Amino acid sequence: MEGSVAAGAAEEWAELTLSPRQYRQRARRYRARTSRRAIGFLAPYTAIWAVFLAFPVGWGVWLSFNTGGILGTRQFVGFENWTRAWGDTEIRTAVRNTAVYMVIAIAVVFGLAIFLASLLNKHRRGSNFFKLALYFPLLAPPILGAMMWFFMVHFDFGVLNLILRQFGGAGINYLGENPNALLTIVAVEVWRGLGFWVLFYLAGIQAVPEELLAAGRIDGAKAWRRFARITVPTLRPLLLFALVVAIIFNAQLFDSVQVLTEGGPALGTATVVWFIFKRMFAFQDTGLAFATSVGLLLVILAATLLSFWALAKRQAREA
Amino acid sequence: MTAGSAAPERDLTTDGAATERDMTASDDGQADSFELDRAAFEAAGRRRRTSDRVRRIGAYATLSLFVVISVGPALYLISPAFRDSVSLFAYPPEWIPRRPTLENYRFLFRNTEYIRWGVNTAVYATGVTLVSLVTNSLAAYAFARLRFPGRKVLFFLILSTLMIPVAAVLAPTYLTVRTIGGWPLIGDWIDLDTYGGLILPSAVSPLGVFMMKQFIETLPGGLYEAAKLDGASEWRIFRKIVLPLLKPALVVLGIFVFMITWASYLWPLVAATGDDYRVLTVGIQSLNGQFVTNWGVMGAAALLTIVPVTIVFLFFQKWFVQASMAGALKQ
Repeated sequence: MEGSVAAGAAEEWAELTLSPRQYRQRARRYRARTSRRAIGFLAPYTAIWAVFLAFPVGWGVWLSFNTGGILGTRQFVGFENWTRAWGDTEIRTAVRNTAVYMVIAIAVVFGLAIFLASLLNKHRRGSNFFKLALYFPLLAPPILGAMMWFFMVHFDFGVLNLILRQFGGAGINYLGENPNALLTIVAVEVWRGLGFWVLFYLAGIQAVPEELLAAGRIDGAKAWRRFARITVPTLRPLLLFALVVAIIFNAQLFDSVQVLTEGGPALGTATVVWFIFKRMFAFQDTGLAFATSVGLLLVILAATLLSFWALAKRQAREA
Repeated sequence: MTAGSAAPERDLTTDGAATERDMTASDDGQADSFELDRAAFEAAGRRRRTSDRVRRIGAYATLSLFVVISVGPALYLISPAFRDSVSLFAYPPEWIPRRPTLENYRFLFRNTEYIRWGVNTAVYATGVTLVSLVTNSLAAYAFARLRFPGRKVLFFLILSTLMIPVAAVLAPTYLTVRTIGGWPLIGDWIDLDTYGGLILPSAVSPLGVFMMKQFIETLPGGLYEAAKLDGASEWRIFRKIVLPLLKPALVVLGIFVFMITWASYLWPLVAATGDDYRVLTVGIQSLNGQFVTNWGVMGAAALLTIVPVTIVFLFFQKWFVQASMAGALKQ
């Protein structure tokens, strides 16, 4: 009896066991089947991605070694565009403007955002209203946000100058002089981004363990010290990530420049993207446009890798 | 940690977090001197309460100032939008329209293609949102649940393009669309000055794929296994089990994509050359600076465009904020 049961089980077992060859065969068949299925799911996105993102990236790199304009016959010229771009004073101005803009805008917006976030964290009553109101500028497209600011900073009828004149001032030329123009652009972009970064840092501050702050309080640390020694260090991984995101966003500054100054006065607000746009579509100097695009791409790629690294570090710390 | 042992004792004698801080500052850990200093302690509490009040007033004044700065420019638009442009230059300034006029709006609807731009924006933003939601959730499902060769490599390749902005690939994308536009058949659908050419290059961001993949991976695997044992196909599992559970994530992603797309300027600017496919942002900006800018009309157009979004925002504020955070935090 027992023997036959054991034998039956062994038989079933034998059916379930596969020889290595059979196993490989079935595994291959299974993989082929799942791959076929996967293609159906992947194809729509991957096709769009490949044609309209991956391919243009590659083509852009290739075209940065060619001349020929938008319609002309293309000719390979090696590094000529690159050396031309390197020596181009307009590009240098654009890069410098973008860098100056980024440093000031990010420093101001981060400082204000952390400050306002800590205020909102401490004073909870009505904080929903304040969050909403601060978030509001993000709703308007950058183009329209910049237009609203036209009515604030225009020399003749801008609200700021109207107020100044009512107090006997002469009015400030916000857009027609350097470095005022770039600083005005900074102000507009800070205005737009502030709400986002307040919410971002508020989420970070609220994640700071309450026990740590309580321990600091018990040890007699003043509010400012607790902020500098407890809140900021716990925010630091977030800060690095935020910095990278902010760099990537701000490196693309274009819309408000286009509306408010069109790069002027005297290239005082010419930015990298503005330069690419002008070279490509106004002058059809594709060589310089592509070389600059690839340069921008490289900077953003480096920043992306940095953000991955920052995230990995954050996850490692959390684990 | 060393102060931790004394903490519960103190919590019993104080009646709030505000006074607790004051005590710890004035007292050096001698719990038995409390009773003696009661009067001094209460005085300190009063001082603290007044300074707290001052601080609170200061905080709310600061916050209110920033609210005024945030909302002020949009509110001020109401004034120039209902005045003629000449009155803008009047002195003393005319803050409130003395003779309110709808002339700016009449001009906007009669002499510009504002309505056409609005329709184009709606088609463009809706198109990008739908294409993104469908393609992203399908691809995310494959990356999260299916095993196929090259899965990791492909995912990494796609992910590495996460941060590439429109601006950096503007020129080659333009040439790509232009080239495809010259091909037979497909060129009728995807070209400069077509909805296809406008929409597809704006629907490339892998953010949605990444977000959805994370989300699908958190779904309980049991449901999926059970359906599989019952012989359901992957497509059926996706449609009947995963898709309903994905709904909240789809809403957040949809709002995010829609907001980004309708506000975008650079790609629609180069992809549509005439009024037929021009969107609102490009159209309104085209009012700016051709010969003489009609400021009143520009203000009216900006105001008219922002009001509906603001109303929608006030109704769905929670979703909006969540969506914009999702873009940055969920990565």
